[in-house]
Amino acid sequence: MPGSRRFLHPEAVSRISRLELRARHVVEGFLSGMHKSPYFGQSIEFAQHREYAPGDDPRHVDWKVWAKQDRYYVKQFEEETNLRATLLVDVSNSMRYGSGPLNKYEYAATIAVSLAYLALRQQDAVGCVSFDDTIRAKTPLRSKHNHLDAIIRALEQSAPEQKTDLFGILNNVAESYPRRGMIVLVSDLLVERDGLIRGLRLLRQRGHDVLVFHVMDDEELDFPFTGPTRFEGLELPDALNCNPRALREGYLQALGTYLDEVRRACAQHTVDYALIRTSQPLDAVLARYLSNRLGMHHRN
Amino acid sequence: MPSFVHPGLLWGLGLLAVPVIIHLINLFRHRRVEWAAMEFLLVSQKKSRRWIILKQLLLLLLRMLAVAAVVFIVAQPLLNNQWGALLGGSKTHHIVLWDDSFSMSDHWADTTAFAEAKKVIRRIGSQAAAQGQGRSFSLIRFSRAALPADSKPADLLAVPLDGEFANRLSGVLDNLSVSETAAGPLAAIEAVARLFGAPEGENRVIYLISDFRAAQWQEPAELERRLAEWKPWGAQLHFVDCVSAARDNLAITALRPQPGTLAAGVELFLEVSVKNFGTNLVRELPVRLRQDDSQLPSLVVDQIAPGATETRRFPVNFPTAGQHRVVADLESDPVAIDNFRYAVLDLPLSVPVLIVDGAPQATDARFLALAMAPGGTVRTGIDPVVETPSYLSSKPLDKFQAIYLANIENLDQPAIDALENFARAGGGVAFFLGELSSSRFFNESLYRNGAGVFPLPLGNPLDLLVDRLNKTPDLDVSDHPIFSVFAGERNSFLGTVTVERYFSAARGWKPEADSPARIIARLRNGAPLVVERKFGEGKVVAVLTTAAPVWNNWGPNPSFVITLLELQAYLASPPRTTGDVHMVGVPWKLEVEAAAYQPRVEFRLPAGGPVTTPGAALSGERVTVDGTVSGAVLSATLTDTDVSGIYEAELTGVGGEAESRRLAVNVAAEEGALATVDASQLAASMPDVNFEFHAADSFQWTSRDVAGFSLSSGLLYLLAALLIVEQLLAYSASYHPPAREAAR
Repeated sequence: MPGSRRFLHPEAVSRISRLELRARHVVEGFLSGMHKSPYFGQSIEFAQHREYAPGDDPRHVDWKVWAKQDRYYVKQFEEETNLRATLLVDVSNSMRYGSGPLNKYEYAATIAVSLAYLALRQQDAVGCVSFDDTIRAKTPLRSKHNHLDAIIRALEQSAPEQKTDLFGILNNVAESYPRRGMIVLVSDLLVERDGLIRGLRLLRQRGHDVLVFHVMDDEELDFPFTGPTRFEGLELPDALNCNPRALREGYLQALGTYLDEVRRACAQHTVDYALIRTSQPLDAVLARYLSNRLGMHHRN
Repeated sequence: MPSFVHPGLLWGLGLLAVPVIIHLINLFRHRRVEWAAMEFLLVSQKKSRRWIILKQLLLLLLRMLAVAAVVFIVAQPLLNNQWGALLGGSKTHHIVLWDDSFSMSDHWADTTAFAEAKKVIRRIGSQAAAQGQGRSFSLIRFSRAALPADSKPADLLAVPLDGEFANRLSGVLDNLSVSETAAGPLAAIEAVARLFGAPEGENRVIYLISDFRAAQWQEPAELERRLAEWKPWGAQLHFVDCVSAARDNLAITALRPQPGTLAAGVELFLEVSVKNFGTNLVRELPVRLRQDDSQLPSLVVDQIAPGATETRRFPVNFPTAGQHRVVADLESDPVAIDNFRYAVLDLPLSVPVLIVDGAPQATDARFLALAMAPGGTVRTGIDPVVETPSYLSSKPLDKFQAIYLANIENLDQPAIDALENFARAGGGVAFFLGELSSSRFFNESLYRNGAGVFPLPLGNPLDLLVDRLNKTPDLDVSDHPIFSVFAGERNSFLGTVTVERYFSAARGWKPEADSPARIIARLRNGAPLVVERKFGEGKVVAVLTTAAPVWNNWGPNPSFVITLLELQAYLASPPRTTGDVHMVGVPWKLEVEAAAYQPRVEFRLPAGGPVTTPGAALSGERVTVDGTVSGAVLSATLTDTDVSGIYEAELTGVGGEAESRRLAVNVAAEEGALATVDASQLAASMPDVNFEFHAADSFQWTSRDVAGFSLSSGLLYLLAALLIVEQLLAYSASYHPPAREAAR
């Protein structure tokens, strides 16, 4: 994987401006390194045969055709969807922050589109909700290939604004998507804690499989600032003149406490939680998604 | 309150605002960051806000203190009050010892060494005055310190350094000019201990401001001893050299009459000596001469080698009796004061001489008197008085310059005593022997084994054997002054003198090496003929033959007159003149007969300073002194003899008639030697003395000079401590940039 992995690095990804291309680049780059085909379906309705390609699951080889023709064909099934994945992307103001090639919003959007692309490639139904304090854009769950455009538009339309209010959003999502499925939350989680935890719990209660990608910038996690600095809140109206090094310890402590709390709440509610740095290559996210997807499949 | 060496630098305290200004500038120079995770930042800030503000204030305070400490260190604070005294500083006494000997009049460009010294003293004074209370200042001139202890030795004596001090010092300095004395540093150094004693609770800073001439500082053993006495005082000693280089200088070192009869109308020779103190050969040097108020032709000294003295003689002739003035001077050079030399010649109308003849016919006396005063137009200035031996004991002999005794047979004891007293007091005595003379009387009464006035023991009178084949003159003279006039003359009249009879010296007599007697002329056979000796202050000459042509043919010979006049000149020398011997600064003690004069004496002083010219010799101020009578002597003393020149005392006789006396006061010419010693030579010659050597133009005040307890070193430690604490606090307040790897 290392050869292809470098294309998944945020710096490489950031050079591709179109979100769709970017997603394709990420997903294809990711998949090209896998020895096992990610494509699999669990439909009853047979759709067509396709010539076997290395990496296809041998279980799907149609041995009858092989017996007649001495050729390997795999069976493909017509299936509307076997997974409903809803992507919840935080587009609030706080997501605008970024010190690397991609800010949190761009990173989150790239993740979302890449996941959508990946899901659509394997016939999963994908929906997307972008939100800040309210839902800014929402696309229904679809599994058609052209649905990716709708998702991209939803994300692109949503310039990040205003403060996040997560419980309301999650509640709304729970209401909007009553069928069980996978909910992928991509956010910096700079929200009111109770609302977050309650929202996650609600989703779990509704039977959703919840995956949280906690996107944070390096500077937010490490706080490397020196020299007199004026910090102006992206969401809060506060501003603070300070010597950042004097506050670093307290900041990291408060942040650590918060992360622990979130992590604990996620574990408690069996929410799959991953803290992602915007400097990390994007494949980690995809790998996480896929393992979760598989797990879910097995659970199902 | 502490005082400061450089109080002007306290304006630097304005720099205290710098840390505040930097802080304010940093407020505007904040990097702006739009920050998402404000929540955690605010939590952190809320938690540590007080502590951070406290640290920041402390840091600001430390930085301001550090700036203040730097400013104070540069301004050099001093503690003068009782706390300072406890810490080791206390009152400070600045003592300036100021060389005002006339070598300080050394001038170059538009300044003199003395003016440079004044500048240094003003600088010391003003800077010391700026240091505030607890300080005093003394100014002692070398010339004043050399005066007797009862006179005022210091121009400023432990004067407190208050607000009025600068004006006071300025007033004193403005009125002072270089003295004409050759006063060395020793008296001033001694005066410090005499005037102030050991310092009790006061710091002493002593400045010795001089030109450091080699003559005084080359071998300063005594100076070193005196200066080393100050060591236990802990006094700081600064030598300030006012002269940048040694310049060439010429001085007239002597102006005096040559031996001869000093009388009115008699030509007299004076000699003038010029010394070249420089390092270059001097050629064609004119010496201007003045006799009373008239100019004499100048002498020209063809050349004077470096360090050498050239003496030339010149004739003067004063037709009238009285005190006459002679002045010699040179063209201007770096030191002008020693270019003048003054002499006063006290010329009587004639010089009285007593001739005592033992024989009633007085043949010898007549020959002597005739030779001394031939009469007619020839003037010798000698007034011979012929008397019998009884005159010696019956009349005072003081008025005679010399006494001639011829053909004495006997003298009574009072006459012998009078004669010996006369000789002891400086009078000249000459003996001529004759037929009446007896060796017994001379040996027993006048020689007395060397204790008497006669120079040798006599034997019997002998005849000088005539040797026709021997052409050697009978007289064999030495190079004694009496006979020097005959020296080198080939056909001297002396050669024609024959001696037939003479008194021999006692058998076996020979003047010892340490004996006062000396044989100055011998006979052809080697027997002594003329013998001299010193007796007290006077001179005694014995001629062992007759004055009249009885035992010889000398009397009619022209050489007899010449020899006799030379003998008279010799006996009368040193001439009773005033002049060369009286130095500047030495009081003039005038003693006259009390019965003849009124006690009030008015002295007229010459104008002082290097402007002194012969014409202005008596243009100075007048000083009236009431004399004191002691016995028959009226004495009046003039102490103010600080300038060279001719002084005059005006006496008033009891009858109201005016009379004047004159005195020539001269400078010590050796002071004109301008060679100097430098710091390394001084240090080498005075290893026991700790001093700092400064050139006048670069003399710099340092905090050590200024008294009081210097806080600078303490502040330095404080500054170091402040900076260390500041760094620790800054580190603790996270103002230090992190290591690079920690940044990311």
